Amino acid sequence: MDKRDLVDRFVFAQFVEACRCLEEGIASANDIDLAMRAGAGLKQGPLTWADSAGMDTVLARLKSLSAMHGERFTPPRSLEQMVADDRLGIKTGRGFFEYSAE
Amino acid sequence: MYIFKTAVVGAGAMGAEIAQVISSNGLPVVLKDIDQQLVDRGMRSIERLYRERVSRGKMTAQELRDKMDLVMPTTSYNDFADVDFAIEAVPENMAVKKAVFAELDNFCPRQAVLASNTSCLSISEMAAATMRPGRVVGFHFFNPASVMKLVEIIPGRETSEETVATSLEFAQSLRKIPVQVKECPGFLVNRVLMAGLMELLRFNEESRASAEEIDGVLREAVGLPMGPFLLADMLGLDVVHDVARTLETAYGDRFRAPATLRKLVENHHLGVKSGEGFYKYTR
Ligand SMILES: NC(=O)c1ccc[n+]([C@@H]2O[C@H](COP(=O)([O-])OP(=O)(O)OC[C@H]3O[C@@H](n4cnc5c(N)ncnc54)[C@H](O)[C@@H]3O)[C@@H](O)[C@H]2O)c1
Repeated sequence: MDKRDLVDRFVFAQFVEACRCLEEGIASANDIDLAMRAGAGLKQGPLTWADSAGMDTVLARLKSLSAMHGERFTPPRSLEQMVADDRLGIKTGRGFFEYSAE
Repeated sequence: MYIFKTAVVGAGAMGAEIAQVISSNGLPVVLKDIDQQLVDRGMRSIERLYRERVSRGKMTAQELRDKMDLVMPTTSYNDFADVDFAIEAVPENMAVKKAVFAELDNFCPRQAVLASNTSCLSISEMAAATMRPGRVVGFHFFNPASVMKLVEIIPGRETSEETVATSLEFAQSLRKIPVQVKECPGFLVNRVLMAGLMELLRFNEESRASAEEIDGVLREAVGLPMGPFLLADMLGLDVVHDVARTLETAYGDRFRAPATLRKLVENHHLGVKSGEGFYKYTR
């Protein structure tokens, strides 16, 4: 069993769906992460996870997953935009959420 | 709007848990089902939840009786005339839901909020079965409701701001965490969860890794409290299959359930409740 493929497919499938919900205005970024913790028992919300992994890393992995498994892993447009805007997450101080310098 | 009295329609798995949550927060709750046996079963489930807390030293036997006294079991709508907030938790079937909403509309005071615990059905469609669509809202607990903190608050097309505000406050008064979600098939949490689960089912089918192995890897790597296949068995594979169908119709192929799931359901392997699903259970 390819453990990395397994874990990534699960985590990225949920992450992409969470991005779609955000793009569609289903809930705010904060509420999406809060709901996934309080309703699904996740340790960390999917958007916070991406902020700590780094949006450029997430985008690159999604591109290889979509090449391998098809368009359900196509990177959401909002993600491409964030990378273009250098909103890479914690390391640039801004991703789905804002991080102050201290 | 202040909530003095509540009602729960449907004393099944969710209805009993919801009535326990309400009563444990000190509010009276009318609990209705279609016959006495079903109401009694619901009352026993609630009492079992309280007994556990007594045996863990979290409450006294007297407190248990006080809480149970807040729950009023019934098979009629006679006690609904002064209810402020009613929640239906009847089976996930639009015709049944609509009939219940029409009845609630008839028997509850004009200003009462009528809420649905539906996982997947349209709030707007249920609201249309009433004369007060502005006072109908989705109020979606997670299983087991006595433990899980989240309540998704889902306004339908015509739900008023005031109803949403009342619902958010009411959820907080139950010491839950309310999150407002725009109406869409699957709402928020189940939609995201199911995207992950369907991907795992595909992995399972392609790799031939067992459900147990997959659950183990994910518990370890992602820190999930429970493996997704075990969770699916607990939800009921027929329910999971129905939800996947609804989501597939709404959003397309990424929610298509692989043949493994369909076959399990066809063979009546529905998970914990039938004794076998992805895992086997001994009674
Ligand atoms: N089980 C879960 O994990 C879960 C989680 C969240 C939401 N939900 C939703 O909660 C609702 C109830 O699910 P459940 O698992 O508790 O179902 P259930 O079958 O355990 O309970 C439903 C109860 O409703 C009663 N009922 C049927 N028609 C009625 C009527 N006309 N009037 C009064 N009572 C009636 C039934 O007798 C039964 O006791 C569904 O909409 C479901 O989608 C379920």
